[in-house]
Amino acid sequence: MLNGLRFRWRELWQRGRLDREAQAELDLHLELAAAAKVAEGLDPAEARRQARIELGDPEEARDVLREARTGQWLDTLARDAALGLRLMKKRPAFTAVSLVSIALGVAGSTSLFAVADAVVRKPLPLPDPSALVRIYDSNVAKGVQGSGVATANLVDWRRRVHRLRGIGGHYTMGRTLTVGEESEVVLTAQVTEDFFPLLGLPAAVGRTFTAEETARSVFNVAAAPTGADPVLVLADGLWRRRFGADPGVIGRIVLLERRPFRVVGVMPPGFAIPDPDVQVFIPWGLEGDEPRDQHYVSAVARLAPGATLRQAEEELEQVARGLAEEHPRTNEGWTASLVPLQDDIVGDSGRTLFALLGAVALVLLVACANLGVLSLARGLERAHETSIRLALGATRGRLLRQYFTESLLVCAAGGVLGAFFAGLALAVLKRTSAPVPRLHEVAFEPRAVLFALMATSVAALVAGLPSAWRRAHSEAAPTLSAAPARVAGGRRRHALQDALVVAEVATTVVLLASATLLVRSYHRLQSVDPGFDPRGVVVAPIFLDMEAYGSGDKSRAYYRTLIDRLEALPGVVSAGGATALPASPLGPDFERPVWPEESPSDESVRRPVWVRMVTTHYFRTLGMRIVAGRDFNEGDAPGADRTVILGQSLARRLWPSGNAVAHRLMVDYSTSGIYPYQVVGIVNDVRFGGPRSDPRLEIYLPHAQRPYLVMNIAVRGTGDPRLLIAPVREVLHEIDPRKPAHAMQALDDLVGATYSRDRHVMAVLSAFAVVAVLLSLLGVHAILLHRVRERTREIGIRIAVGADDARLLWWIAAHGLKLTLAGVMLGGLLAAASSRAVSALLFGVGLTDPAAILAVAALPLVALVVSLHPAWRATRIDAAEVLRAG
Amino acid sequence: MAVEKLELLILKILALGAQHGYGIGQRIEQISGGALRVTLGSLYPALQRLEKSGLIDAEWKASDNNRRARYYRITAEGRRRLAADQKEWDRVAAAMARILKAT
Repeated sequence: MLNGLRFRWRELWQRGRLDREAQAELDLHLELAAAAKVAEGLDPAEARRQARIELGDPEEARDVLREARTGQWLDTLARDAALGLRLMKKRPAFTAVSLVSIALGVAGSTSLFAVADAVVRKPLPLPDPSALVRIYDSNVAKGVQGSGVATANLVDWRRRVHRLRGIGGHYTMGRTLTVGEESEVVLTAQVTEDFFPLLGLPAAVGRTFTAEETARSVFNVAAAPTGADPVLVLADGLWRRRFGADPGVIGRIVLLERRPFRVVGVMPPGFAIPDPDVQVFIPWGLEGDEPRDQHYVSAVARLAPGATLRQAEEELEQVARGLAEEHPRTNEGWTASLVPLQDDIVGDSGRTLFALLGAVALVLLVACANLGVLSLARGLERAHETSIRLALGATRGRLLRQYFTESLLVCAAGGVLGAFFAGLALAVLKRTSAPVPRLHEVAFEPRAVLFALMATSVAALVAGLPSAWRRAHSEAAPTLSAAPARVAGGRRRHALQDALVVAEVATTVVLLASATLLVRSYHRLQSVDPGFDPRGVVVAPIFLDMEAYGSGDKSRAYYRTLIDRLEALPGVVSAGGATALPASPLGPDFERPVWPEESPSDESVRRPVWVRMVTTHYFRTLGMRIVAGRDFNEGDAPGADRTVILGQSLARRLWPSGNAVAHRLMVDYSTSGIYPYQVVGIVNDVRFGGPRSDPRLEIYLPHAQRPYLVMNIAVRGTGDPRLLIAPVREVLHEIDPRKPAHAMQALDDLVGATYSRDRHVMAVLSAFAVVAVLLSLLGVHAILLHRVRERTREIGIRIAVGADDARLLWWIAAHGLKLTLAGVMLGGLLAAASSRAVSALLFGVGLTDPAAILAVAALPLVALVVSLHPAWRATRIDAAEVLRAG
Repeated sequence: MAVEKLELLILKILALGAQHGYGIGQRIEQISGGALRVTLGSLYPALQRLEKSGLIDAEWKASDNNRRARYYRITAEGRRRLAADQKEWDRVAAAMARILKAT
């Protein structure tokens, strides 16, 4: 057995030597045979001649030996590849088209695969990430689902739920960081004691917070913690940007909202909980008298060893029920649920990414099928060569190998190029703000390389095998007898070509239908009335600090001055502010229970609604309409009656019979008590989260009566809102140089960002669909042109016997139409089968949207137009010449 | 079948002692009384197949007249195969003979 192996080894690695040995052996054999004959009395030359006759040709024996050896294919491959290269050079256009389509197909599918793989499959870069969960509160009776949790409840859960090993709360907001003389607004996260320990990732430099540091960091307002010697932890990005990655930063004092904080640690790069944009972490002590009905804290937890998500959730629900009994006023009906942290972060992006990956795979398939069609047509033109080689004794297997090698060469080159493009595309993508979670974790990994290899192999099979097989199996005799250009085509010879074109068209239909639906869906999104008019408005969040603006008067005065100064700017129509703006992610946004004053104050009528503090002119600036009553004015001052304006839906819900104005609304403002508010007006509903979101139940309180430190300002101008950014920035700097503007943006852009995924998906799919349509048309065109060339003789005869141009045109064009129609029908079925993947991405558009049907129905018509060119070529055939040549 | 028969003959000859290619051809011719003659195109591929399946082994050695030749030797596995194939061959040959006599 070992000997056998040794031979096999030599076969692979010592081919040259084996060959030489065989030669020596054969020579010796002949020599010995001749010597024997010389001994019998023949002269040497004659002896040699006779030995050769008796023993056969040594050259042939050597060839047989060589062919029989494994590893021989390497030599053959090299020869075939060389031939393939020559052929590629001979037809540069075809080679270029093939190369580019495969390179683009492989690049597109590989880069999308890399993204999908990183986002969906790769575990979070934290120790034992599968045990990490997010906690959401819900209250079925109040119609609340997936909201944040309340601080005091979190404290109790931590004590009572044993199947969760640590529960961490965090809350994100913008704060002004001052290092040296330079101030900037950075996104900060205040995190509770368990947050860092439960995530399990230690600081890269220094340390995270101690229990003692957390305990003394008490917040009274959502600004900065009180307590002595406050500390913070930096994120890697800020550390590099502002401190040049200096490890000596530990112990340095920086100002956060004008208060000195000591840096105790730096998190490692890639730490992206709760958000990759968070640059500063500060500790947050929850112990103490905290409200139970403010569900604004985000919570993460780690399952205790051995506990399943289901078990932990059951225990958590049980504890929540216990708390509801202890605190019925605040906790009635509230329960909590768990979601794996990774699922929570990825959300439904996985579905979108896989839909796109599927689409790009389809494009790749179309491109390959198209190459298959083109090379089939070409192969049939080279049928003459095949016939000769078959007649000369080449085996079909040998020919198949050679032809396949030809296309393999192009595919391999395309694959390498594609992988290179994919790497490039990923690098570019990571610099964009594409709406993909975990984008920073995307990398061109070995799995992506493997995928590129697979995609290339599939491409090679689809593009090369049909034509190679067809060519190797063309007939030897019939073609030999006729000149190459006049081969009469049999029906069977073209079945493969036709099938490829039909498949190509069918795939294109799927892409075209999906793309049309997405375009329609996108237009539908754009035409949704969000309840406000974002055009011409620029917005910016302002974060005032406790140190300088601690009292309500100071904050009120700041915003009063700011709004007045802004409205005095040339080109500004009006300015206003609100604690949270539609479509804007920054700013305090929370719910409070409310009920009509006249109804009994029992639990059933309490309803959590979103509360927003707004300045005068806010509604005017956002283009909202007061539908009843009045807007806030100077009269809604600190000492005056407390007033409130209701959103339309809430007004209708609370006072279904009539006008809510003049009624009084109770608002449980937990920390500062329950008071009645006079309803002075009703404003139209807004889609706060952008056009994809539903209107919420909202109330608005005058900022003058309920001053807030953090506000979003909105400025409406007469022209391009971006032109207002510089003057607004200047005004901000003049009022307080320590309060720089942060993330000033056109409201239009913010609204657009809420459906930027729709826009990206639509753009990508539309591009795919356009490419697929072009390729299919190219395929139809090629197949018809080939048909005309191949049937020159038949067409000549038809012309000679009196076929007119119209008949000829139709004869050729009808074939194209037949194929396209078959493809459209098949594609319709495929589209119906794959509709689930698309429908999840749609907004307000049905799968049987007329536009999509129209677009698909137009495809055969366009194909018909394209097929006029080959058909026209048919009419130009000179019958006389053809017949003479025949 | 023909090839397999040739391979069987080669094994049988090598079972009598190591031999180079020419020698094997000579032996087959001699023992068959000149009835069987092998060509280069059939002998060497058969040898290569046997070597590949580990039934024989080969080594370059100086020959009787001091020429370097490739000497083939039967391996233990080759002997086992020879015994089995020979038994099978005898059985088939006997059966053939009986059938041919009967008709």
